[in-house]
Parts: sequence; structure tokens; C-alpha cells
Amino acid sequence: MKLHLIGTIASATVCGAGAIAGEVRLSGAGATFPAPLYTRWVAEYEKGHPNVQIDYRSIGSGGGVKAIADKTVAFGATDAPLSEKEIGAMGGTDSVVQFPAALGAVVPAYNLAGVEKPLQFTGEVLVDIYLGRINSWDDPALQKLNPGVKLPKTPITPVFRTDGSGTTHVFTSYLGTQSPEFKAEVGVGKQVKWPLGQGGKGNEGVAAVIQQTAGAVGYIEHNYAVANKIAYGAVQNKAGKFVLATPESVSAAGDATSAELKGNVLRADAWNAPGEGAYPISAFTYIVLYKQLENIKNDNEASALLGYLRWSLGAGQKFSAEMHYAPLSEKVQQAALGALSSVTHRGKPVVIAP
Amino acid sequence: MNSAAPASPAASQPGWSRESGGQNRSGSGETGVSRRARIGDAVLGWACRLSAALIALMLVSLIVVLVHSAWPAIRQFGLGFLVSSDWRANEIERPLRDAAGKLVLRDGEPVMETLAPSFGALPVIWGTAVSSALALLIAVPISLSAAIFLVRVAPKLRIAGAASFLIEFLAAVPSLAFGIWALFVLAPFFQNHVGPVLQRVFEPIPGLRWMFYETVTVAGRTVERPIPLTGRDLFTGSLILAIMILPIVTSVSRDVLKAVPRTQIEGTLALGATWWQSCVAMLRYGRSGLLGAIMLGLARAAGETMAVTMVIGNNNQISPSPFAPAQTMASVLANEFGEATEGLHRASLLYVALILLTMSLVFNVVARRLVVGKVGGVSH
Repeated sequence: MKLHLIGTIASATVCGAGAIAGEVRLSGAGATFPAPLYTRWVAEYEKGHPNVQIDYRSIGSGGGVKAIADKTVAFGATDAPLSEKEIGAMGGTDSVVQFPAALGAVVPAYNLAGVEKPLQFTGEVLVDIYLGRINSWDDPALQKLNPGVKLPKTPITPVFRTDGSGTTHVFTSYLGTQSPEFKAEVGVGKQVKWPLGQGGKGNEGVAAVIQQTAGAVGYIEHNYAVANKIAYGAVQNKAGKFVLATPESVSAAGDATSAELKGNVLRADAWNAPGEGAYPISAFTYIVLYKQLENIKNDNEASALLGYLRWSLGAGQKFSAEMHYAPLSEKVQQAALGALSSVTHRGKPVVIAP
Repeated sequence: MNSAAPASPAASQPGWSRESGGQNRSGSGETGVSRRARIGDAVLGWACRLSAALIALMLVSLIVVLVHSAWPAIRQFGLGFLVSSDWRANEIERPLRDAAGKLVLRDGEPVMETLAPSFGALPVIWGTAVSSALALLIAVPISLSAAIFLVRVAPKLRIAGAASFLIEFLAAVPSLAFGIWALFVLAPFFQNHVGPVLQRVFEPIPGLRWMFYETVTVAGRTVERPIPLTGRDLFTGSLILAIMILPIVTSVSRDVLKAVPRTQIEGTLALGATWWQSCVAMLRYGRSGLLGAIMLGLARAAGETMAVTMVIGNNNQISPSPFAPAQTMASVLANEFGEATEGLHRASLLYVALILLTMSLVFNVVARRLVVGKVGGVSH
């Protein structure tokens, strides 16, 4: 909510600056999760390109997909890759380009006074907590994972998100890979029916419940946990290692899926990725365009749009870690640039201004 | 909320109704006031009519829009929506099992079944009903006592004005302020101080175990677990609702009691009633008006959103325990509407909104009939 507000103020200021001759204005809309990063990218890019103004509105992934399908924006942004149906609505695979722009992670955050070291979790233990089978922090299963940590006899309050969100989608997708029972009973999705626990709206809602409730554990976005100094744990990955979410470990998870990124509609599930250093609850966030840019008025705008997107995949990546997102690895970057290079403006190649 | 304000007080005062206005007009014509003033009268008259019509139109269009956008859910679930407790926005794909719980196999592969999203309003109706009822249980005795104080004690102490002002001021505090106070003060206080005490007192009592334990059934396995006392539950939600409906119930009750004829009170005293007995007689005399005040409180409690959302726990479940998280109709809308892009989910939320609107409309109409019918016009 707060982030959204800042985004709105920022875009309002941008609009208020008034039109200078030769100026290009572009708009994008969609996912709230990468919005702070996109806002930063836009600000950095505009420094070097004063004639370009880009307005990113964080209205949620669903809204972003709808906006690009309605051609009301130059590009859409979404946490969940486009579904078959959504691609169909935009004219099929041949008229859509989708590529990852960054990676994010979801972390198990908790409120346990007196525990300094990050706790270690496995997917199985997280499933058991959310299904009501582990109810106290001193449960033997948790104690076994955390030798040397004195866990209190505090009851566990699982916290979930009540609004539909990419965060819930990533978290339930990961838990689904860890337990067929979880997948069959709770299922995977942007919003699911949790059998127990407390609900909060948005990252801020979940974080508020965690911070106010001794013994609470909930899933929130990594950057939000870092920014608000909420303690979070390491999660065991597919290779059996306990890994904390860091820009490197999340990038590594993305890198492990790079072989799946082919063609012009790229998608890969980065959760539960193989590799010693990969953080297991990671996911890409995507940008969506029309392959022929039929939603763009003139060559100038097309050139500016591609210029910005190329920059964000290249020079822009160095801001990702600073904002607590994960940059794309070399291989993923190449795949994304490859998808982007298939874009034309109504069939004509787009000349990108330096 | 008060769009259907009674016309009676206005009509009963001379010089306000259209008829008497007409008389003034003819009178003023004789004394030489210009034509322009008469046109002004006509314009103002029509502007008032238009404004009144606009308000009525707003309510009608609200109902029309809600019914129209909730239609997919109404068609799919019908009235069964009111009694179904399923609220799942995601599709579940899982291996099909037969009646005996065995996997159904075809060519050695498990057959998959897809469960479509499904919605039912029973948990939120339950949450609204129980939290509102608990809130009334807490607020009504306090409100009635405060009203008696304002009518019978405060005037003697010369603090009636100040006390009334304070109570009415509470009604002007934004609900978000109550919510933040509840989240940061009330909920932690309950978690750390009140909850543990209640648990120590009530848990050993046989038959009260349900207050502190919940059962979770997943995949046919039922687990009993202690409910963590978080201070964010049905009980705290009801408490904050009680605080929020206190002002309206108190001030309407005060007006009802003020309207009790003095002769009634003096009569009871003349018959030898004690102060307490005459208060009871007063309450009895104004009972239908007081019932109306309570109904107005109920309508406010049922529709209250922000404060409740912050402390009720937001879990669409039906738990008998007041210490378990719950969800109300208003809070489910606040929680889910923004990101509900999928058609049936959105329609179901609007169906909930329609139920809520119908309910508060009924409460308000009943309350108004009770209050207005007895006292002949209340200024709220």
C-alpha cells in the first residue's frame, strides 16, 4: 500500500512536469511486487534520457495483464506468467513477448524473542505448520533442524495473505512441490483456503500480524522483510542445503531454470530449483509486450520503449540487488534479450537510440 | 444511512411545508416583493426535490448494480450460497479417489480431477452475526446505563451537555483510529494479559475445552490443536465493535428516554417507586424506541469494516471459540475485493455485499419504525 502510494506520487510528479518538445511518454502497469525496483529503474533511466518519461502504475498483476490486453499501456508486468487463455486473448504466442525482468523470493518470517540466529526450515516442516501438525516452536521436528538454538514453548500462529497475490502463488507452488497432500488439499494459487491461522492483507498486513504476535510465522516478500527488519529463516533446497534468501541465492535459482527459457514467450518456475546455492522459494517476475508493438503509436515511442527495456535488462540489473531483488544471471539475461530482439514495430525493425 | 429521515418534524413546524410557503408567497406578493424572489422559490423548490430524488436514485442504483454484478454467483450458487461454508478461490487439481479412498488408476497413471473454485457465505455471515451479537451484549447495558445517567443524573450535576458532547464525539472518531488503537493496544494487551488469565480460569472447567482448542481436518485426518491466543480474534473484534456502537446506541437511547413524559416518572414516584424502580419503568415505557436504538447499533456493527478487519484475524472459518480468528462480511470485502480479478470470485464478493446491504437496510427500516413510531421523530 505504502509502496503503491509512493509510486502514485512519483508518477503524478512525472506527469506534472509538463511536456517538453520531442518528449516521449510511455506507460506500464501491473505487478506491485517489483514496483519499487521498476520505479527506481525509471528514475535512473530518465537521468540519462531526459526526453523519455515512463509512468509505471502498480495496480496488481491481474490489472497489468488486462491493461496490456486492452492496449491501454505500452507494457504490462505480472508475477505469474501469462496463461494460455491470456496469451490467446492477446492474439496467440506469435504476437506476444514475455520475458523475466528480475527475481524475487518469499521468506518464512517469524516473531520469536530471544532467537538471534536465522532459524532453519524445510518445506515439509512449513507444510506441517500450515496444516496444524506442528503447533509449538519446541516441536521435535523444528528442534532437530535447529540444533544449538533454544526454542521456546510458544504456540505457533501461522499467518497468511488474504488478498490474491503472486506471493501466495509462489509460496503455495513451493509447498505443493514438497507435499502432494498439500497440493491436493489446499492447492496452489494466488489465493487459497488455508485450514487455520491468521490472515493479513498485503505484505504490510502479514508483517503487522507477525510483528504484533509472539510466536507468529508468515510468508512475506524478501525485500519487504529486509526493509522492515523482520527476522526470517533459511529454507532447505532441493540439494539438501539450508539457504537464506540473498540476491545471489535467488539469482542462482533463476539460473538453474535457464534451459527452459526458449522462444519469445519465456516462462520458468524458479521454485524448488536444483543447485547447491539456490534459494528454493524464488520466482521470476515478467514483462509482457506485443511482439509487433501494435499498441505503440509511432517509431519514436517504439524506439524509446525498447531502449528502456534493453537498458533494464543490462545496466539496470545492477540496481536489483541494491533494492533487495535478485538480478538475472548471465544466461537468463541472454534469453530475455533474445526474446526482446524479436520485437518489431508493425513488422519494421526498431532502431534503438543510444 | 439516514436517507429516509422522517418528514414529520419538518412538517409539524409551521412555515416549513410547501403549503405554508405558498401562503407566504401570496402574502409577500401583496407586500410587493419582486417576481425574481418567486422564481427563486420555484428553483429552490425543484432543486430540493431533485436532491431528494437523487438520494433515492442512489440507493436504487446501488441495488441494481450489485444484483447485476453479483448475477454470475447468484445464478451458480442460488440461495445455497447462504448456507455453504466453502470459500476457495483457487482451482485444485488432484488425483481422483474412489469412495473407499483408493486412487483411481487408468493405465497405471492416477486419474486427475479438477475442483473448480467454490464460494459460500456462511462463515462470513456467522462472523458478522456472532461479532455483532457479542458487541451488543457488551454495549447495550453500558449504553442504557449511560443514557439513564444523561437523562436523570447529569442534569442535576450540570454536566449533561459536556457528557453528551463526549459521547457524541466518540461517534466522530474515524473507524481507522479505533482499528489502529485496537491493533496496537487492545490486541497485544489481550494476548499478553487477558487471554492467559481467561485460559487459566476457564480451561479447567469441564465442557469449556472448545474455547481453547480447535480441530483441523486435512485429507480426512483430524488434528486437535490449541488455539494460539493472539488477541486478534472474534472476541477482540466484538469488543472494538462494542466500543464503536456505544455512541449511537447511547445518544438515541437518551433521546428516547428524554421523550418519556414527565408525568409517567412522577406517577411512578407518587406510587412509591424507588429511584431504581422508576428507572425501570422509564425503560419499559420507551422499550420499542430503545429496541430501535439497539437495532441502529446492530446495523452499524454489521457494516463496520476497517477496525474489525484489523483485529478479527481474517480467517473464513466457523469456530465455536471466541478466541479463534474469524471473518465478517465487511472484512472479507476489504480483504479480497482489490485483487479479485477472476469472474466468479468477484461476483461472489458482490453477492456478499448485496446480502450486507439488504441486511442493514432491514435493520435500519425496522429500527426507524420502532424509534420514530414511539417518539415521533429523532434527530439522528
